[in-house]
Amino acid sequence: MQLLISSVCMALTSAVIGNAYYQKKQFYPAVVYITKSNASMAVIYIQFFVIVFMFGKLLRKIFLGTLRAAEFEHLLERFWYALTETCLAFTVFRDDFNPRFVALFTVLLFLKSFHWLAEERVDFMERSPVLGWLFHIRVASLLSMLGILDYVLLMHAYNSTLLRGPTVQLVFGFEYAILLTVIASTAIKYVLHAAEMRTDTPWENKAVFLLYTELVIGLIKVVLYLLFVVIMAKIYALPMFVFRPMFFTIRNFRKALNDVIMSRRAIRNMNTLYPDATPEELRQSDNICIICREDMVNHSKKLPCGHIFHTTCLRSWFQRQQTCPTCRLNILRAPAVNSTALPRAPGAADEPAAAVGAAPAAGQPGPANATGANASPAIAAPDVGLGRANGTPTGANAPPPSFAELFGDANGFPNLGGIPPPPLMPMLAPFMVPPPFAYFTPVPVPPPPMPLDLTKFTDEELRAMEGNQRKHIEERLQLLRNITLMLDSAGILMNQYQGLVARLPPTTVSTSATETTTSATSLADVASTTTLASTTSPVSSAVYDKPSTSTAAAAAAAAFAAKTQEAHQIKSVAPTIAATVTSTSVTDKITIEDLGADEDDVPTVAATDTIAATADAENEDSSELSELRKRRLKFLEERNKSPDSAERAASE
Amino acid sequence: MAGSALRRLMAEYKQLTLDPPEGIVAGPISEDNFFEWEALIAGPEGTCFEGGVFPARLVFPPDYPLSPPKMKFICDMFHPNIFADGRVCISILHAPGDDPMGYELSAERWSPVQSVEKILLSVVSMLAEPNDESGANVDAAIMWRERREEFNQIARRLVRKTLGLPT
Ligand SMILES: [Zn+2]
Ligand SMILES: [Zn+2]
Repeated sequence: MQLLISSVCMALTSAVIGNAYYQKKQFYPAVVYITKSNASMAVIYIQFFVIVFMFGKLLRKIFLGTLRAAEFEHLLERFWYALTETCLAFTVFRDDFNPRFVALFTVLLFLKSFHWLAEERVDFMERSPVLGWLFHIRVASLLSMLGILDYVLLMHAYNSTLLRGPTVQLVFGFEYAILLTVIASTAIKYVLHAAEMRTDTPWENKAVFLLYTELVIGLIKVVLYLLFVVIMAKIYALPMFVFRPMFFTIRNFRKALNDVIMSRRAIRNMNTLYPDATPEELRQSDNICIICREDMVNHSKKLPCGHIFHTTCLRSWFQRQQTCPTCRLNILRAPAVNSTALPRAPGAADEPAAAVGAAPAAGQPGPANATGANASPAIAAPDVGLGRANGTPTGANAPPPSFAELFGDANGFPNLGGIPPPPLMPMLAPFMVPPPFAYFTPVPVPPPPMPLDLTKFTDEELRAMEGNQRKHIEERLQLLRNITLMLDSAGILMNQYQGLVARLPPTTVSTSATETTTSATSLADVASTTTLASTTSPVSSAVYDKPSTSTAAAAAAAAFAAKTQEAHQIKSVAPTIAATVTSTSVTDKITIEDLGADEDDVPTVAATDTIAATADAENEDSSELSELRKRRLKFLEERNKSPDSAERAASE
Repeated sequence: MAGSALRRLMAEYKQLTLDPPEGIVAGPISEDNFFEWEALIAGPEGTCFEGGVFPARLVFPPDYPLSPPKMKFICDMFHPNIFADGRVCISILHAPGDDPMGYELSAERWSPVQSVEKILLSVVSMLAEPNDESGANVDAAIMWRERREEFNQIARRLVRKTLGLPT
């Protein structure tokens, strides 16, 4: 077919030339004759295109060999788009329209086609199992040749624009600049692919390099297009013919940018938050990475949902989407809570166990242990209570406290982040326990005790407390959230107490202790959950007064109860939750130690003093606190090892 | 070392050859391009496509399995979820994010967990139970919904055509 066309063309051309020469007998008149005759010119033009086409075929044979079907299809598609755009460009430059102009555009289209083919070829590298030397030589020479041509033509356009002012060369200069970027990105891709082929292991960072290449090239292209459009609009008219490619370029750039941002976030999450899969975990799973279907022997990561993948596979997936490939957990939305809770939750759960474990078994020397008991459920609810209880008597002469101070510095607590979000069950459980205290119910919720006596504050101080700027509200919201979290964890901890206490071996003292603890616990649960219920909803509505009041109410209720029971043997306003305080009121003689400490015959007053003294210090002194916690954990371990001895110790 | 996409495709090809699912044959058209496959799908039994063998072509992107392949039947098809040109429109072939119809659950979409085998099995079940909400071929969807007998007739004619029998 092509052969037929070209031979027909050849015949036509020779006929035209032969005719001219036959008529004029001389060279110059013959040329003039041909250029004067439209029909002859048409034939000559067609011949010109055929020659270009044949030349293109020759070059293609040299540099690319046979085209694959897909390559040819893409080439054709892009060629038609480029052709229509060229026709559009002609409308802008109709004044410059001459054969030279057409020739230049033909050369441009010609070169463009080879750029596309080179791009396709390099993309094909990734798909081809084996590539010979011929392929590399061809691609490398093609790329360098195209690069040099682009550069030469760009410089030519640039110089002619400088020389003669803006002409159609502006368009060519711009087009060749774009083509240069194309060649640059193709060459980078080629180098990356070739480098990967030479290694025996998958190259981890290739995808990242590719992504960044795309981003940078995209940026350059966008800038070029914008510049071109602005310049063209100033000198000629809006260049409609670049709008389509410009649109695609901007879209690609946006996508690349988005990909980079999202994947960076996801990969950062992956690197910092998710643990490497341990060999045991790999053995338990089927040890195949579901992304690449290969064994996981080297680095692999475990997502919060428990699914394990190669680190590299995950990284390239996260450049597309930030979800778990298996269960589609959105790792950008889910990670913080889940992942931090995972490694730390066991530790958090251990603490109350340690505290309770200590209860029936006599353990360490009194005062230290007592403080430890208070410290170890270092959850927040007690802290709130503490802040309240301590604040009540001293508030009057204290400097106007900030909101945060009034509530105790929740953020200061070291393990706050580690407290897992409340699971559903523990939250529901308290509701199932009927409040066993007839005593408690009639107690009216006392008014918010925060400003004991407003008259003691100056106007400015009051205003400072009432701050309603964004900062203040944010601070309050943050506080309320912390409080909610603390209360949740308090509820969970109390449930754990309950469970553990129920399982404890009955000892002489601990029977009564257990009873009170359980009842106290349930009370505390009720208290905390009611508070919680009232707290959670307003938090979102940014009303700060109500939640703070109701939260304070719980704490205040404790303080209130404690006050009314002054006749009883109140040992402390210790930070072990309202529950402790209420328990004193019921059992009269049960002391704080019953909840979490030893039953040693510590002089109660001494213990109280220590508690009172250390209570404040605890807030600041978290190192001491962790030290105590450590000691307690060790103690628990020992106890577990020798339950008998511990029991003996308890009964002594 | 070859690209990860190529290695995974080779692994899938091996798996499909060693343990082929019933009624499905698939593999690369030529061994030097693993990114274009041909598949033969037997019409599911008990449906109007029963007995037919439908050839289709799968084209894999360079970043497979991060992006889904494209699938196109290369025989005449008349089905609510197959475009007139043979392209298959089922959610497993769509990456989450690009939702041409706007109703697909992202849980059914493409993810690297999916595979050629799963795609082809989904296509088999799509043949058995068209999703008439998808507008790939509106005529077929309407006919399937309202004039089932006529639809079945066309399907049976297509089956005979794929087998090279006179229709
Ligand atoms: Zn992998
Ligand atoms: Zn998962």
